[in-house]
Amino acid sequence: MSSGISAAEKVDGFTRKSMRKAQKQRKPQGSAHFRTQGGSLSPGELSALPQLRDAQSTEQQELFMQKLQQCCILFDFLDTVTDLKSKEIKRATLNELVEYVSTNRGVLVDSAYPEIINMISSNLFRTLPPSENPDFDPEEDEPTLEASWPHMQLVYEFFLRFLENPDFQPSTAKRYIDQKFVLQLLELFDSEDPRERDFLKTILHRIYGKFLGLRAFIRKQINNIFLRFIYETEHFNGVAELLEILGSIINGFALPLKAEHKQFLMKVLIPMHTAKGLALFHAQLAYCVVQFLEKDPTLTEPVIRGLLKFWPKTCSQKEVMFLGEIEEILDVIEPTQFKKVQEPLFKQISKCVASPHFQVAERSLYYWNNEYILSLIEENIDKILPIMFGSLYRISKEHWNQTIVALVYNVLKTLMEMNSKLFDELTASYKAERQREKKKEQEREELWKKLEELRLSEISKNQNNTHGLENSNNNNNNNNSSSKPEDHSRISTTDSINTESYTLNAQYAK
Amino acid sequence: MEAFKLMKELKANFEQEMKYLPRESGLSLIESTTEQGKGISAKCRDAKVEDLWSLTSFFGYSTQTFVLAVNLLDRFLALMKVQPKHLACISIGCLHIAAKVVEAECDVASAHELIRIGQCKFTVSDLSRMEKIISEKLNFQFKAVTALTFLHLYHAIALSHTSHRKEILNLDKLEAQLKACLCRILFSKAKPSVLALSLLTQEIEALQSSDLLEIAQRVQRHLRISEPELQRWRGLVGQCLMQYSSPECSKPDHRKLVWIVSRRTAQNLHSSYYSVPDLPTIPEASWDESESEEWTEELSSGEESLSSSLGSDAEGPYFPAHFRKQQSA
Repeated sequence: MSSGISAAEKVDGFTRKSMRKAQKQRKPQGSAHFRTQGGSLSPGELSALPQLRDAQSTEQQELFMQKLQQCCILFDFLDTVTDLKSKEIKRATLNELVEYVSTNRGVLVDSAYPEIINMISSNLFRTLPPSENPDFDPEEDEPTLEASWPHMQLVYEFFLRFLENPDFQPSTAKRYIDQKFVLQLLELFDSEDPRERDFLKTILHRIYGKFLGLRAFIRKQINNIFLRFIYETEHFNGVAELLEILGSIINGFALPLKAEHKQFLMKVLIPMHTAKGLALFHAQLAYCVVQFLEKDPTLTEPVIRGLLKFWPKTCSQKEVMFLGEIEEILDVIEPTQFKKVQEPLFKQISKCVASPHFQVAERSLYYWNNEYILSLIEENIDKILPIMFGSLYRISKEHWNQTIVALVYNVLKTLMEMNSKLFDELTASYKAERQREKKKEQEREELWKKLEELRLSEISKNQNNTHGLENSNNNNNNNNSSSKPEDHSRISTTDSINTESYTLNAQYAK
Repeated sequence: MEAFKLMKELKANFEQEMKYLPRESGLSLIESTTEQGKGISAKCRDAKVEDLWSLTSFFGYSTQTFVLAVNLLDRFLALMKVQPKHLACISIGCLHIAAKVVEAECDVASAHELIRIGQCKFTVSDLSRMEKIISEKLNFQFKAVTALTFLHLYHAIALSHTSHRKEILNLDKLEAQLKACLCRILFSKAKPSVLALSLLTQEIEALQSSDLLEIAQRVQRHLRISEPELQRWRGLVGQCLMQYSSPECSKPDHRKLVWIVSRRTAQNLHSSYYSVPDLPTIPEASWDESESEEWTEELSSGEESLSSSLGSDAEGPYFPAHFRKQQSA
């Protein structure tokens, strides 16, 4: 593999990862489309049937069935040269079917249903090939697109129009769109092709809406998929789409919320925030969470405590996402609920504003630009200000990022105007504490210096007197010049010690 | 002995204080100017002084810097007719001068930093020009005798007499209260010695200490401060402190503040607000959760449950097929 690669392209003697990736042979995309085709037509050959629109109304039914059956034959799109004519016939037929089902009434007779479902299943249901790129990073890499999309797209389109046809009868269809069907449909959500997932999303949404008997099953299966995702595989491509569907379901929950739904929130949605790939579906996840809280505000406390429990400790990108979600929650929070969570929440926010990562600090400081949050803080200023004060005051002096420092000023000024007296009291006690700490620091420094002097004078005592005096004097000077005092207080300390030690040595010299 | 020295110092400062008092006529003019008027109004000045306090606090300057800055500001405004648009520059100029006088050199924030944090629209050279003008107009008399001077002296005097109760009279608290008073132009008219004594006596009254009260009275006699004058200012101070201590919050006018964030965060803010999804809501119906085995239970619960929950328009047939069949049977 490393033949033909120059030394410049290696690092420490190993070929660069990017070079290795480029060199890898493109393995043919696996597919489980190996099916024996029954019937008189040999696989790979289609003969064009007459157009539907040209047929007599009496014959249309039969022609429709025939065309459906024809479309059950599958073609290999990885092979770009064979069956071109047949592929085109199928494509045209599918197109026709889509139009037929969209524009005409009375075409969905009972007998058509099994044929339709059969055609759809044949074309769509397949074992998804393993990902070409085992290190597939959804954020960075291009997804592998479905090769047979030219046909598959039309099948999906057809499926959708079928479901949305005004004559569609769920009572008839449910014999064929059963649990097994839905299960296979759900598996397809793991497709890497975003276009496919988009169709699946809309289709599953319609199925959920129309088939009341399947709803519990669908919810349960989605539950399983998510739990497997969170706790076992950490891999599933369709999380965002499923969450989007869930969003519209949660939106429609009846009140009071069922225990099952609350369980789902706490046991599935909240832990889902720990997933590594959170960025891919965070917007949809946050939407679901906020919808739950709008339905039942009493869930606020457990939700926020849950998020605080899973607060990211090493991933700043995630922390910024969490802060965004918290702000969205605060936008809809009820004041009574706010009181319950304010202390643990602001303890976390106080850590965030002091974060050395400037995006985290910025995002949390920006909360003070939110009118509603300000009004909540105002109402509870006596509890919140003491929590925030220390961090804010400290970073106003210490933070490396100047934009942050300016934002801190805004926040401090806002808080000051809310309650001057409390602010002044906190300032005074903070300053007093800093004084005490500084004093302790100074005392500690002095103690060390004294000990150092003692040590040196002991040494000089043991040596020859004159030599000893010179040595220790030199040592002193070296000590004093090498130590770089950082502020005024340090300078004064050193100076005073200087004179002290000088007299010490002078004594010994005598 | 200590007390005697302090009393002498007190007298000395007392004799100096009139020199640093802003011209009363100038102050009155400001008080009578309306918001819409051409000059500086009281509200305008008060708001600017509050800003100065925010900056003082933020940069860690001492109360003395703040008090001196306000003194310089009031003296200047009382002398000169200025336009409101220059007020920001003037006030920051006063703060900068005061900081340079009071604080250690390493603690003085740079002009650039002052302007940046204060979100001011003028430049560093504007500021230094203004500082020159202020300095000239005030004859470089920067070592002002202010209410804070007296407050410190009174406190020291009180301490020297009642050393065992040093914790009671809290200087920080008094300073904070003085700061609150200075945020109103009204109190710039008071003589510093009287203002400080008013604050002191208010606090003593709150503490209910007769010893301290006696000391205060002795000071008053020493300086020959008239009782009516003291009472007048005490009343006004009392009102001000009540507002300062009230738990009621004043709604902050944060519209004045500019919130600048980095580009990345700004982008983030935009995209984090998830727009309403394009999938329409699917309303939940009370019977749809049950699997077919549970149908019998649902049916027996009767029509009441159905009629109550069918308020929303569920998609799909109004009555599921199973149920329809049962009904007709």
